[in-house]
Amino acid sequence: MRAALATFLAEATGARSAAVKELRLLPNGAVQENWLVASAFEGGTLDGEQRLVLRTNAATALGIGLGRTEEFAVQRAVYRAGVAAAEPLVLCASAAVIGRPFYVMRWLPGEAAGARIAAGELGGDRDRLLARLAAELARLHAIRPTFAALSCLGAPPADPARHRLDQQERLLAEDADPHPVAAWGIRWLRCHLPRAVPPVLCHGDFRTGNFLADAEGLVAVLDWEFAAWSDPAEDLGWFCLGCWRFGADAQEAGGIGRRDVFYRAYAQASGRSVDPERVRWWEVMAALRWLVLALRQRDRCLIGGEPSLDLALTGRRPSECELEILKLTGVRGDARPS
Amino acid sequence: MRDRPDGPTLAVLAQAAAARGEDGALVARALAIAEREAAAGEKPLQSCHAALVGLYGDGALAALLRRFADDIAAGRFDAPGPAREAALRLLWAMTRQKLSEANPEYLAAAGS
Repeated sequence: MRAALATFLAEATGARSAAVKELRLLPNGAVQENWLVASAFEGGTLDGEQRLVLRTNAATALGIGLGRTEEFAVQRAVYRAGVAAAEPLVLCASAAVIGRPFYVMRWLPGEAAGARIAAGELGGDRDRLLARLAAELARLHAIRPTFAALSCLGAPPADPARHRLDQQERLLAEDADPHPVAAWGIRWLRCHLPRAVPPVLCHGDFRTGNFLADAEGLVAVLDWEFAAWSDPAEDLGWFCLGCWRFGADAQEAGGIGRRDVFYRAYAQASGRSVDPERVRWWEVMAALRWLVLALRQRDRCLIGGEPSLDLALTGRRPSECELEILKLTGVRGDARPS
Repeated sequence: MRDRPDGPTLAVLAQAAAARGEDGALVARALAIAEREAAAGEKPLQSCHAALVGLYGDGALAALLRRFADDIAAGRFDAPGPAREAALRLLWAMTRQKLSEANPEYLAAAGS
C-alpha cells in the first residue's frame, strides 16, 4: 500500500518522486478512517518533508453521509471560503490505489479530545473559543446553494426541517426494533415544524470532539462527511445537544460555555438573529439524528461484522438521546409536557 | 425495551476485544453494562410490560412496545388525559432504566 500511495502522490503533485515513511491509523475516526502519512517529496507542489492525513472509508459503511469525492469538494470549498479547515490536497476517487477512495489533506496540530476540551485542558479561554467557533459557523453559513463547486450536494431542500424529519423517520423505520421515545420525538417535531428558511451550507456534525484545539484555542474544524444544505439553526442545535457536553452539562454550548454567549457571538458574526425556539427544534432533531446514527453504527458491528467493541457500545447510546428528547420536549417523570 | 447488543452479547464482544488488545476502557465499560443489566435482571422488563398491559391489555412485550411506538407516531397520545400521562410516565421510566444500565454517569450528570 505504501509504494502505491507514494507513486500516486508523486504523480498527483508533479513530484519527481515521493516516499511514504510512516503510515499510522489515527484515533477517533468513528465513521471514516484517518491515517497519518509522513512523507518526503522531491519536487512538485509538496516539495520536501510533509505530514499529511489520508481520509478514507471505514471497512463497513454507515450508509448515510457523503462519499469521499463529495466530502473533498466540500472541504475544498470551505477552505477556500476561509473556514478553519485542513487544506485538502489531492483526491483519489477510485479504489485502484489503496482499495478504497480517499483524499489527502495537510496534517494540523491539536487534539479533538472532547473531554479535555470540555474540562478546559484544551481550547484556551472559554468565551473566546465559543466566539471563534461561532465565527467559523457564520463563515460556513455564508455559503449558499448557488455555489457552483458544490453542485455535488444536489438540489437544496425547499423546507430543510421537513426534509430532515422525513429522512430520519424513514431511517428509523428501517431499524428492526421499536423506539417509542424516538417516535415521541418525531411526533413532537412534526407538530412543531418551524417555518422554512433559505438553506445554507451546514456542517451537519459541528460539535465538541469534531474540531482540533490546542492550548490557545481552535485549530480547525474536522469531519465534513455530513455537510448538507440546511437551516443554519441545525448546526447550532447540534452543537448544544447534551450528548456533546462530555460531562460538563451546565455548559450548554458544547460543554464549553453558556448558550446565550454562543448565540450572541453567532448573531454578531453572521448578522442573523438566533431564535431559541428554532434552535430547540433542531436540538430535538439532533437527539433524534444521533440516535439513528448510533443504531446504524451498532449495525456495522452486529450486521456488518466489523469487529469493533466501540461500534457495539454505540448501540447502547440511544438512551442518552432519548433522555435529551424527553427533557427538550418538556417530559418529566411526574410532570406534563409543554 | 433494552437496546442491543444485550448484556451477554456485550460480554462476549468485550472478551473478544480484550483478546485483540483493544482499548481496556472500552472493555471495562462493556463488562460494566453487562453486569448492571444482569443485576437488574428481568424486573425492568416486567415493569415495562405491566405498564403496557395497563394501556392495551394482554400481549407479548415486543408486540406491545411496537404498538406503543406506532400509536405515539399516529398521534394517539396527543390529547391531554390519563392515557397520555401514563404514556409519558412510561417513556420516562424506560429511558431512566435503560440509562441506569448503559450509562449511569450520564444520568447523574444530566441531573435526571
